Amino acid sequence: MDLKLASRKNKKKTIVDVDGIKIGEELVVIGGPCAVESEEQTLKAARAVKAGGGKILRGGAFKPRTSPYSFQGLGLKGLRILEKAKQETGLPIISEVMDSRDVTWVAEYVDILQIGARNMQNFSLLKEIGKTKKPTMLKRGMYSTLEEWLNCAEYILSEGNPNVILCERGIRTFESYTRNTLDLSMIPSVKEVTHLPIIIDPSHGTGKLSLIEPMAKAAIAAGADGLMVEVHPNPKNAKSDQQQQMTPEQFKKFMKNINALDNFING
Amino acid sequence: MNNKLLKQIRKNIDYIDKKIIHLLNERMENALKASKVKDAIEDKSREKQILAKISSKEGNLIDKEFTLELYKSLFDESRTLQEKGLKLIGFQGAHGAYSEMAAKNWNKKLVSIPCDTFAEVFEGVKTGLYDYGILPVENTLGGVVGTVNELLMNDDELKIVGAIEQPIEHCLLYPEAEKFRDIRKVYSHSQAISQCKRFLERNNLEPVKYYDTAGAAKLVAEEKPEATGAIASSLAAELYDLEIVKQNIENVSNNRTRFFILSKSAQSQQGDKCTIIFSTAHKAGTLFNVLSIFADAKINLTRIESMPSGTGNYSFFLDFIGSIKDEKIQKILKEVQDNTENYRFMGCYKERSNQ
Repeated sequence: MDLKLASRKNKKKTIVDVDGIKIGEELVVIGGPCAVESEEQTLKAARAVKAGGGKILRGGAFKPRTSPYSFQGLGLKGLRILEKAKQETGLPIISEVMDSRDVTWVAEYVDILQIGARNMQNFSLLKEIGKTKKPTMLKRGMYSTLEEWLNCAEYILSEGNPNVILCERGIRTFESYTRNTLDLSMIPSVKEVTHLPIIIDPSHGTGKLSLIEPMAKAAIAAGADGLMVEVHPNPKNAKSDQQQQMTPEQFKKFMKNINALDNFING
Repeated sequence: MNNKLLKQIRKNIDYIDKKIIHLLNERMENALKASKVKDAIEDKSREKQILAKISSKEGNLIDKEFTLELYKSLFDESRTLQEKGLKLIGFQGAHGAYSEMAAKNWNKKLVSIPCDTFAEVFEGVKTGLYDYGILPVENTLGGVVGTVNELLMNDDELKIVGAIEQPIEHCLLYPEAEKFRDIRKVYSHSQAISQCKRFLERNNLEPVKYYDTAGAAKLVAEEKPEATGAIASSLAAELYDLEIVKQNIENVSNNRTRFFILSKSAQSQQGDKCTIIFSTAHKAGTLFNVLSIFADAKINLTRIESMPSGTGNYSFFLDFIGSIKDEKIQKILKEVQDNTENYRFMGCYKERSNQ
């Protein structure tokens, strides 16, 4: 692999500090709704994430959707709702940026920028994000190899932003029972070739509520640096991803179970 | 029915209504100012003069009788307002300025009147147009407001009757927040621009200096210059119907401005802070001698500021904790006066902090 800055040869470990939360050092759980739909829904989800012991709040304001007629997100209004949720709960915010023109503006509101799977190889977006120093979570494209993925991380690093976090969210295979195939073999593979931390998204990775906890546990066992899961106060009425968002009660139980495993493995 | 067209027309009407209310308010403010300098509230000859003027200027849709009726009820309202004996406070800037927010927080019963410059506020209090004037003296980020301290230094008439600290939270305002990508230029007061320098740089926005933050908001709202936003308070957003793109855009979060409230007569209530101004002779240790008077008496100094006053000389501003009604303080000030030149007691007042 022709990597310069992302290669493990140059650096042992990257720890990304977000408001004192050290990604790469401790198991960090990111939770929150797929999309910011309203202030009430987001605040409720944020409180549930906080109560369950989640460290960072997720929520999409700009949504990449397969169909142009699907809900596209609340935009700036969504970012302002996330800001309010942060003021109330103290949870740092992660949200996706899709347009290179929006990078600095979204960065004003969030603590971690997210690059979605569909934008993994949007090179102008990667370069724009590289110019900021904002922590950035780069999701793996659904048709991408490890090498392609890490080359995208290299784009951000080479522009001067060292705060890159990788996120495995499942890839396309012929299997249709699950939404994607969550490729957990990427955790040890990433650790072999790069120093960047890796987070696992079992919500998108499986698309099935019943599979989230088992896969989260498998991810911890394989050495993941964190998890990202979807939490919604009322998943049945969600505007997107109804099948994979946890209720506040489910999230609480989930956290209890994975924390027990994390304590067992990592002490 | 053409809904889209009707919607646009109604939007225009709403805009005109808002303007009418703003202008009516401005007219009333001027009537109140006039009441401070004329002998009697009612002036029949002036009313006649106004009616004659406006009836010669009627638009083709407006009936003469209608205008006369309208103005008669305006005169009535104006008289009622003037009879209330409202107290006025002058502030620099347009409505929605941070100075006005501080004035409202100091005493919400006062009618705040906008002025273009600090000097205009100062002169207005001196001539009796305003009962009070509010002026910024220092800011946690921008430092001393030089022009105001200069005005205070060169005056021997006005007294400080109050002080208040106001948190300053700058917002980026634009007619439609969702179109934030279009913004290229930002109008605001030079202090606000320097306090938000990093935000402007990060987002590649070109700052343009203007006389006031709220004035900049007003300009953006009324003239809608292309791709132009304003930095001002959230109150200004509300007043001028602008949307907030981003709140709290200042470089450092603890951004506060301290204001003095000035009046012609010293305040009678118990104060807990005093301000004096003096200069010292060009000899070694003169300033030290003055400061040691306070140190020996264990009096806490809260501000010391120096201002150049002409060729090579400096004036000093000193704030300290204590009341002028306290005999110990009176004794100390006598001693200070004996050891300084151009000594002046600026006032004893209550310091207030607004969270």
